Amino acid sequence: MRFHLVRRSEVRLIRKICLYLAGIAVSFIIGGIILSSLGINPLSYYRDMITIGLIGNRYPGKSVEGLLKLFVPLLITSLALALAFKMRFWNIGGEGEFIAGAILAAVVAFKLGDSLPGPVVVLLMCIAASVSAGVIGLVTAHLKVRFNTNETLMTLMINYIMLYVIKYLGETKADWNFFLREDSERPIFAKFPENAIMDGIEIGNFKLLYTVPAAILIAVLVYFYLKSTKQGYEISVVGDSVNTAKYAGMNVYKITVRTIFLSAALIGLAGAFTASASGTISTDITNNVGWTGVIVAWLSKLSVPVIGIVSLLISVLQYGCQAASASYSQIDHNFADLMQGIFLFSILAADFFANFRLVRVHTAKTEPSKASDGGSGKDV
Amino acid sequence: MFEVITLFLFNIVIYSIPLLFATSGEIMVEKSGSLNLGVEGTMAVGAVAGYLIGCRCDSLLAGVLVSFIASALVGSIFCLFTITLQANQNVTGLTITTIGVAVYFFIGNALGPKWPAMRECERLVNSISAIEIPGLSKIPVIGKAFFSHNILVYLAVIIAVVIWLYFGKTTCGLRLRAIGENPGAADALGINIVRYKYLHIMAGSGIMGIGGLYMGLNMGGTFEGSNCWINGYGWIAIALVIFADWSTAKAIFGTFVFGFFNTLRVYNMPLATTFPKTLGWLSGIPAQFFSALPFIVTLIVLIVSSIRSRRHGSSNAPTAIGLNYYREDR
Repeated sequence: MRFHLVRRSEVRLIRKICLYLAGIAVSFIIGGIILSSLGINPLSYYRDMITIGLIGNRYPGKSVEGLLKLFVPLLITSLALALAFKMRFWNIGGEGEFIAGAILAAVVAFKLGDSLPGPVVVLLMCIAASVSAGVIGLVTAHLKVRFNTNETLMTLMINYIMLYVIKYLGETKADWNFFLREDSERPIFAKFPENAIMDGIEIGNFKLLYTVPAAILIAVLVYFYLKSTKQGYEISVVGDSVNTAKYAGMNVYKITVRTIFLSAALIGLAGAFTASASGTISTDITNNVGWTGVIVAWLSKLSVPVIGIVSLLISVLQYGCQAASASYSQIDHNFADLMQGIFLFSILAADFFANFRLVRVHTAKTEPSKASDGGSGKDV
Repeated sequence: MFEVITLFLFNIVIYSIPLLFATSGEIMVEKSGSLNLGVEGTMAVGAVAGYLIGCRCDSLLAGVLVSFIASALVGSIFCLFTITLQANQNVTGLTITTIGVAVYFFIGNALGPKWPAMRECERLVNSISAIEIPGLSKIPVIGKAFFSHNILVYLAVIIAVVIWLYFGKTTCGLRLRAIGENPGAADALGINIVRYKYLHIMAGSGIMGIGGLYMGLNMGGTFEGSNCWINGYGWIAIALVIFADWSTAKAIFGTFVFGFFNTLRVYNMPLATTFPKTLGWLSGIPAQFFSALPFIVTLIVLIVSSIRSRRHGSSNAPTAIGLNYYREDR
């Protein structure tokens, strides 16, 4: 028996939602089987994961703070990547741009942190981070449009180069290296001056950092930028077809370079936010947000409101796995990575069943008249 | 003095072999028109599966076979999503890397103290001891460096040469290249694209897995909770494919160059002290620079080759790389 694929002409929303829910359920079942194989009760693990250690915790505020510290960079990075992906520009250099932003933010913090008032320092850090990361995006976009250089591989290489730059800064004891603590024999990144550390609103023993409302504001701005500005419209036209954009008289070079600058600058900003919120930088400051952001953006179908929800859920997953691993010694936070991957694969499969239909091919032997019909599809 | 040179060359070979496996595998995948960014994850799964079974059976052959099969299965997941389910190749590849590396840590943590130690597997250790090639290994300086290695090293070179011949001389290889260049035309010729892609991507992924196993064995087979055995080599392999211009013959040379960078990182001090006048400056260069060098060089190669191919219109990159093929979209 042979099948061939037919693309559905229209997909009903209810069908999509049902398939996605089924995909999520399947992921949890697969995760449950993995947990059971280690002798862990999946239900109690999932409960610990979803409650992110809030139950029975004397300082629940700290858990929420920890969760938000994962959420803010992930949200901004995923939004930024979605901007690039909408144009079919494969910016997978989130890691590198994030590190570039964090390093430049640290430079500002160490050099100017003592001499300028707090808000000014933080603002300068954000600007320096955005511009430095944005320039990386600008150069890659220029090369992509002018010479058709493969942007996926280009940004990938930059990730590793930036990783070794920050490792170099963090591991080299020298007179010029103002990134490190002077009083320590071993190389350790120094703490930022007080003025460079992100402030927040104190609510009881919970501190809401200003980065959280800032990130949400960015999400709202990106939403309206894509939805109701001319530039947002241009992005979607270029993403659909470069030739259409050209015939419509759009300057594809300008649009691409501008959008990728914006995308990279936002990721740099996320780097500055993270550095300022934690008051220092480290070699694993990105927390893999450049990779996770790709998964979040794709899971969300590049839709801004969905990115908001999905990045929050993925943050709960990551933070919850950290919290839950405290009570289960056999498993660590890598389970979160595993689950992310399984979620993505389930959603990709759900997408397929939402967009395609399997049709049975009648073999030529039994029904010769249908033979030409079978040739129009793809054999599975 | 000659010992230092011999040791240096010997280590270049050691470092370049996992890259040669991975690069040969990725070239095979990319020639079919698919860009698999999951090399790192594919290698990690092959390494951990091959090592565990290899130790359990106390046999290198079992380890190699299992790492090949395990990674080929990972490759089949890539095929399932990108070929059958028409999902995006970049996203699928990245997810395979995420899952593969997570599986590595997951199994390592789950086994904990039950993780097998390599030194207890005598037959396995014996079968990866150096094989001296008669005659050639007696050549001064380079004999010991190039012709006295374990069997996997020779296997890597043989695989690279065989793939090179396969793409250049056989009908199957030429057909696969046709798919990578223009799947529509290949389809019109009656080539079964789906079957060709599945088989070659799975085979390529399996070869990457052997490279992963080699890395694990090279590190003495100890599981560390923080660092994966593969440690970025999968990404370097993706870079090397470009550097080698999609040819496994050039990849032998290319991996040697990249192995050279890596060896410099480890052996810059001995070199600097043995040749203080000519190479003394090496000791002043930070190790991180040597680590980043493969990526810097690839970035430059990538940019220069794209500028050149824009001017002269020649590159061996498969034209349809990264694009999914759906017959009805033609």
